Amino acid sequence: MKRRKFIATSSLATAGAITMPYILPSGLLSMTTTPPLSEYVVFVLFAGGVRQQESVLQRYLAEGQNENVEGNIMYNLLTGAPPNDKIAYGQDDTANNIIGGIPIDPILQTPLDQIGTLFPEMRVSKGGAGHFNGLSTGVSGNYYVTQGLRSRPASPTIFEYLRKHAGFKATDCWFVSVGITGSRPLLNYSAHEAYGRMYGGNFIAPTTTFGEPGMAHFMNFKNYHPDTEWEMILEMREFLNQNFQQQGLEIAHLYNEVDEEIKIKEFVRNTFLKVNAGNVTLPPVNDNGDLKTIGYAVEVLNWFKPKLMVVDMTNIDVCHGDYTAYLKNLHRADHGVGFLWREIQRIPEMAGRTTMIVMPEHGRDLEHNPIQDDNDWYAYDHSGNNENTRRIFSLMAGPGIDGNLRVGSVDNPVGDSADIVPTIADLFGVKQLITSQGLLDPAARSLFDRI
Amino acid sequence: MNMQTSGSPILRMLSIPAILCVMMLSSCAEEYYVYGVDDVEITPVNSTKDKPKTHAQYISILYANMFQKAIGPNQMLQALNAIESIGDKQVAYDMLVSKYMNDPEVKIPTVESMRADPETFVRETYKRFLVRQPTEAELQWMINYIDSRPAVTPELIFFSFATSNEHAHY
Repeated sequence: MKRRKFIATSSLATAGAITMPYILPSGLLSMTTTPPLSEYVVFVLFAGGVRQQESVLQRYLAEGQNENVEGNIMYNLLTGAPPNDKIAYGQDDTANNIIGGIPIDPILQTPLDQIGTLFPEMRVSKGGAGHFNGLSTGVSGNYYVTQGLRSRPASPTIFEYLRKHAGFKATDCWFVSVGITGSRPLLNYSAHEAYGRMYGGNFIAPTTTFGEPGMAHFMNFKNYHPDTEWEMILEMREFLNQNFQQQGLEIAHLYNEVDEEIKIKEFVRNTFLKVNAGNVTLPPVNDNGDLKTIGYAVEVLNWFKPKLMVVDMTNIDVCHGDYTAYLKNLHRADHGVGFLWREIQRIPEMAGRTTMIVMPEHGRDLEHNPIQDDNDWYAYDHSGNNENTRRIFSLMAGPGIDGNLRVGSVDNPVGDSADIVPTIADLFGVKQLITSQGLLDPAARSLFDRI
Repeated sequence: MNMQTSGSPILRMLSIPAILCVMMLSSCAEEYYVYGVDDVEITPVNSTKDKPKTHAQYISILYANMFQKAIGPNQMLQALNAIESIGDKQVAYDMLVSKYMNDPEVKIPTVESMRADPETFVRETYKRFLVRQPTEAELQWMINYIDSRPAVTPELIFFSFATSNEHAHY
């Protein structure tokens, strides 16, 4: 791993890691910090429930539908030839009336597994195979075996760790969500009493914000002059809030500074202009919610240059009732990640300084359910007692991360879904600070430590 | 020499009024009361507002305050979704209120009426948004603010009230 080489070949850095305090950009000084490996991290929750068979194993229809067709439909992430028969995962071939018959062109010339490290067999080691459990584990590094929907994670999220212990600003941390259903809007901060809203990350579900609801209730919101009108509003509001302050009650804000709040509003205003002008930076193919969300995530990256952005997807979950649509959305999720990586390299501040991590929140069953689609292919659920749902992969690429490295195998799984939080902390040089809080799953480790 | 007086009719006659006088005097004796003060917890006028409004409550009350009519169910659902889609609710509320301020149907007093009678305007604004009368200190502060800032408008004051912490609680 280059990170190890990096530290080993730098005596100063080595000394810093062992004995000398490292000063974080926030000014925070601690003996438990190390030089950051990456300035920015983008974590893609490749969510919706992905079977290993159709993703890293590249089996296409061979294991899912008992048809002898294999191939790689995620060729932006993975190296491998695509299927050569029964193509149903692409765009619809309307001329020949073939659903999904035209594969989407690759965006990346070099698949990410060649410039990054792949953990092809990780495990969701605890909890059920629900989306919320998986997403929560992804952002908190802990498992929730009893929590239901519409509740916040019980232990701190990576956003809270970074804001509280590494001095990140609120707008340094973003959760860009594919929607507002389930617990998604609650994943930007936890219910932990020592953390919570004060250290939360910013959240946006852009297809809602910039869709019909936002157009009806946000678009063209009035722009008050910051030096005159807005200043008076703040003065009067401060007076009113002071008279209510003894209650300790407040609107559920995230402690964005005033200039950050203004920046968020300007982002919303500016993005509405782009939406209306058709100028949002969307992937070449953007025919589902995941890909539109990825496009808006690029807008967030361009506007805020956040140190950490988590973006999630969901369309793959259509697999409960439509296997063909599952293949199409899996192919599109890969398209979205390839697009995201390419766009990151086009942002001068982030190019070459950003690590991207991709991980599904859980897998899907080994055995299909009785539902068949138009191709007579069977659908797959994600059940709690099915070991196949515990099989996931992770891929990370960025500065200092070895390319063409595979760690683990079916017979030797390496990595856990709770590992991403300590891995991100490791990338920012604050792993010890965060692990020492004792709130991660006991088995969670930085993926760098598993190599 | 012993004098026998008890049997004297004159003395007996004098002793009766004397006893009555003593009784009367004693009946007029002043009673003393000690007054104490019970401990009373003094709380702000808004101290009973300790429950956050749900987003639906906030939106419906806000809409009624701004437009003087009830929000429709479809509008409510969309507004809820819009609010839900933004993590920082202060930012979300700010955008929602300022969007409503751009609506031609919003009901806001004129600048002239506010300046003609600032006290009534302030009292009405407190009643409209915070469902209470201002304290004397609040009233004076707001009147002074209006008097000292020619550029302040009812819209800006409404915005401040609508996005204040107290307005988000009940």
